[in-house]
Amino acid sequence: MGIFRYIIRRLIFSVGLVFGVSLIIFFIINAIGNPIEILLAERPGITPEAIEAMSRYYGLDQPAPTRYAIWLWNILHLDFGTSIIYNQPVGGMLVAWGWETLKIQVPAILLALAIATFVAVTAATRQYSRVDFSVMTGALLGHSLPGFFVGIILILIFAYWLGWFPSYGAYSTRNMLWNSALADSIWHMVLPIAMLAFFNTATLTLLMRSNMVDVLRNDYIMAARASGLPERKVVYGHALRNAFIPVLTYLAILFGLMLGTAPVTETVFTWPGLGYLYITAIQQLDYPIIMAESMAITIMLVGATLLTDIAYVLIDPRIRLE
Amino acid sequence: MALDASAMTASPGTAAKPPRTRPPGVWVQGWRRFRHNTTGMLGLSLVCLVVAVAVIGPFVVHYDPNDQSAMIKFGAKSAPSLQHLLGTDRMGYDVLSRIVYGAPTALAVGLGTMLVASVIGITVGGISGYAGGMVDELLMRFTEFFLVIPVFIIILAVVRLFGIVVVGTPLESIPYLNLMTIVFLLGLFGWPPIARLVRAELLRLKQMEFVEAARCIGTLRRDILLRHILPNALPSIVVVVALGIGGAILAEAMVSFLGFGDPKAISWGQLLYFNYEALKVAPWASVAPGAAIFITALGFNLLADGLADAFNPRLKQ
Repeated sequence: MGIFRYIIRRLIFSVGLVFGVSLIIFFIINAIGNPIEILLAERPGITPEAIEAMSRYYGLDQPAPTRYAIWLWNILHLDFGTSIIYNQPVGGMLVAWGWETLKIQVPAILLALAIATFVAVTAATRQYSRVDFSVMTGALLGHSLPGFFVGIILILIFAYWLGWFPSYGAYSTRNMLWNSALADSIWHMVLPIAMLAFFNTATLTLLMRSNMVDVLRNDYIMAARASGLPERKVVYGHALRNAFIPVLTYLAILFGLMLGTAPVTETVFTWPGLGYLYITAIQQLDYPIIMAESMAITIMLVGATLLTDIAYVLIDPRIRLE
Repeated sequence: MALDASAMTASPGTAAKPPRTRPPGVWVQGWRRFRHNTTGMLGLSLVCLVVAVAVIGPFVVHYDPNDQSAMIKFGAKSAPSLQHLLGTDRMGYDVLSRIVYGAPTALAVGLGTMLVASVIGITVGGISGYAGGMVDELLMRFTEFFLVIPVFIIILAVVRLFGIVVVGTPLESIPYLNLMTIVFLLGLFGWPPIARLVRAELLRLKQMEFVEAARCIGTLRRDILLRHILPNALPSIVVVVALGIGGAILAEAMVSFLGFGDPKAISWGQLLYFNYEALKVAPWASVAPGAAIFITALGFNLLADGLADAFNPRLKQ
């Protein structure tokens, strides 16, 4: 099978996935009935006519299949509807809040990758030494530490006791750090990034170390050493490249995990990102946001998986396409 | 060589024959290796600790978990002291007794989730591995679908919306309905790793000589599956289940931490949810449940790690 056919097959599967998730979410939301009625049920002075008018305004008077078709059609035109609570177009909100989420998640995963590579290589080249043992123990412990617990500890130490970093929010409402918006923004990003990076570093280190140990046992490593290459070149040039391939797939999984648990991360740091938006939307039954956001997160997640799947095949010619 | 042969021919009739003992089974062998595994034993002791707290703890602690009288006597949010070893939280509850009563909840969540996940996972994986062909292909795509979707986000939405649907129906009177919903959902979305493993194990074991031997002597298909293949696949399943219990406890804690937990159940995530906003004033009320979750998750992770080493010694080398 050619690589293009493979990519197209993955693409079709990914579209099917997104489709499936949209159906699930739509079904769940429809199961509760008319959200407008539930939202307005406890407010006095709302006439049935008003509820009906509002339902019509949001297109809720149509039967469910029609609504799903309309919603899907609109989404394909990048129209995500209007938020009931915020009364803003959801598409614009997703971009604005999504930026805040990616702002902490992308640097965190890059940082984790850099640290994990260095630490794992150090440990793997000194297998069964004391360094290796402590790295493995630390990584195993860190891997089991719940992210939000790390966040709580970080806030306690660095925000409350030492007072170095702010404990919540992405910006200062007044008195910006050094009167610079950029410095202020980075200042707020430190603790969330530290928490996410901590979690990812532990997991990546475990994976990288075992890959490195496997790769270093190969004959071509011995051949490279025998031909007189400096050890640094053998480890970083030859071994690391091959140890990296499985990590690539795992990056997509980690990214998905971070996006999926963004509600927790962002609740810990009161961070105005997608996760926080999602939680408030669920609490207030702002269904256009719930649907659009679960869609957006699914698409990001599936997109990341798709990219790594393709990259995997492009990088490693040994992988068989079935 | 000659000695061997003579011993073999001589053994059936001779009186010097040692009493016949059965060779140790998978579990005994696994336990012998597990005993020498430091991480595994550490995990096992942590898990035992949590179980002990869950079973004995409620008889030991001084305060009822629903006792808010500290509100009057010591005041809420009082620091750890001799009266309240872990302090009191912002609702006036004794933190230690809430933690202790949270342990059974956590274990129930972990076991319940993995029970649901195992039933679905073993069924799907079993059918997939046994049937093969088109059915296998379809079921595996289905499994992949469940692996990729953002499970946590869907669970949050379902828990909240289900809570609304239930209002006014007879279901409402079921105790801990909310918690059971979470457990069921976690299981419903948590089975794919088990299904994949069961399928892989089935495919591997189907090729083994002892299965072929069993087939040769005319063993029934059902007996081959249940008495030859399943017992040999169980150790690997146990590893995934142990890992899954830790994950489920963590997931329930996160759902509760976000405020979608069962308000009537005493769970560690729930404690975090109630006390997190008072983190600055009463840090002990947030750190203690967090540490409890960490210890439990760590225990099950290490246990799974040790079990994996013990049952698959080949993997380690």
